[in-house]
Amino acid sequence: MTEINEQLSSLIDNENVESKPLDALIGNKALQATFSRYQLIGDVMRNEKAINIDISEQVMSEIAKQPALVTVTTIKATTVEVVKPENNVISFVKRFGQYAIAASVAGVVVMTSFITSSPSIENRGIEVLNTVPFGGGVSPVSLQANPLQSQKALQDRHERLNALLKDHQLQLQVKK
Amino acid sequence: MNRVLLFRAMLASLLLLFTSLTMAITAGGNKEIKEKQVQFTPSAIEYLQWMQQAYQTKNYEIIYLSSLYKQPEPMQLIHGVVDGQEVSYFRYLNGGIRESIQYAGKISYFEQGTPGYTLISHYNRHVFANVANFDYQKGQQNYDYVILGKDRIAGKLSIAIRMISKDEYRHSYVIWCDLKSFLPLRLDTLSPSNSVLDQLMVVSLKSYEKVNPWLVKLTQNTRPEIVHIRESSTDNIPQWKMGWLPAGFTVVKQDQHKLVMNESEPVSYIMLDNGIVNVSIYISIKKLALDESQKIVRRGATVLYTEQRDNIEINVVGDIPTITAKKLVESLVLVETSDN
Repeated sequence: MTEINEQLSSLIDNENVESKPLDALIGNKALQATFSRYQLIGDVMRNEKAINIDISEQVMSEIAKQPALVTVTTIKATTVEVVKPENNVISFVKRFGQYAIAASVAGVVVMTSFITSSPSIENRGIEVLNTVPFGGGVSPVSLQANPLQSQKALQDRHERLNALLKDHQLQLQVKK
Repeated sequence: MNRVLLFRAMLASLLLLFTSLTMAITAGGNKEIKEKQVQFTPSAIEYLQWMQQAYQTKNYEIIYLSSLYKQPEPMQLIHGVVDGQEVSYFRYLNGGIRESIQYAGKISYFEQGTPGYTLISHYNRHVFANVANFDYQKGQQNYDYVILGKDRIAGKLSIAIRMISKDEYRHSYVIWCDLKSFLPLRLDTLSPSNSVLDQLMVVSLKSYEKVNPWLVKLTQNTRPEIVHIRESSTDNIPQWKMGWLPAGFTVVKQDQHKLVMNESEPVSYIMLDNGIVNVSIYISIKKLALDESQKIVRRGATVLYTEQRDNIEINVVGDIPTITAKKLVESLVLVETSDN
């Protein structure tokens, strides 16, 4: 069993496509589940974060819906079928960027780079009013802070504020 | 003879006197009528309600600009009523194609180079929609409505109405409406100190008897795939409670979800609504300590206020004065789970 699993693993990695593990895959439901789990593991390893673990069940039901698999070519078709629900999840993740559009299309400006733009006052139009005076905050290098560190912190903060603003816009749009 | 003359003279003078009197009376009468007419002219709230009705029920096309943009960004809104349902088509007029269409509880977005997608949305967030869907009768508790006078916007005679917040916790507005169609032509958002924070201005308005046939055609097209927003959990909530709300605001949503941009970060979320603006409050784990100067960020009418308490961070986002955001955060309390 473990050996077959190894072969499955290599199959996923496009390394060693032999007909034997494929045949085994066709015949064995448990192996199919393993196969789809391996796919999932692969996705996770490839840093595609929002993998829903419950998907293995969906995969199983997808497989159950499939007619009996006979040839290798059908397997290919199955592979497509197996990947499809994952695709939905991934596309959802990929679409996160589009929520920014959702916000901007709705006629609302997403305040990108408004933190980083704050020190340059000549940046007219992007009006950043800090009611608390900037003080030493304006100077890019302060005595204690490592400039690289503060740059990183600034960027993190900027990203977080953007995430909050986009979430705010999205929450408003889908409000009931 | 003399007597007759005298009598005539007296009569004449009397007549003169009377005519002047009667003239005075008629003049007075006219004045009264004029005053009555003034009383019959619509009140500010009536104008606002007509504006509201016009915005929702008329067929029109507007091209407008927002002062928020670095460069003036022309945008277009085409609105129509198809089979009793509002249809709003929006697009940017310059640069890459970015457009959206909203009807039947869904909004679809299209952008050059990316596949279109649809969100389930019953909420109109197009230009002027916030003032066009506000309950002005109820709003009288927190706003005063005052007619400022007549003006000309986009070549049309319009009336400017000021919507003044009764306290310092919300912004005030000036709304310009076309005197013919009553459609909104301009909206200024004012800070409590009366400086203009944000301005939306129509440069072209066309209203039509019949709905734009192109708009009808759009509603017959199949829409792109619906993107579902990840279900938010409502378990173990609410743990956070607002100790204070500005008058007119209510909590309309409270949940725990993950930020769309940053899936790994769970936040406790509270949404406030007063019919014209929405405020989002996020409570999360503090990641990096902030300088005092980084806690308030404001652009236009929108404020992003951050406060850190021990190991948590509270963020308030919304079109409200900073003082309101500050007070909201201060009032936020953690409720013991046993209370629920």
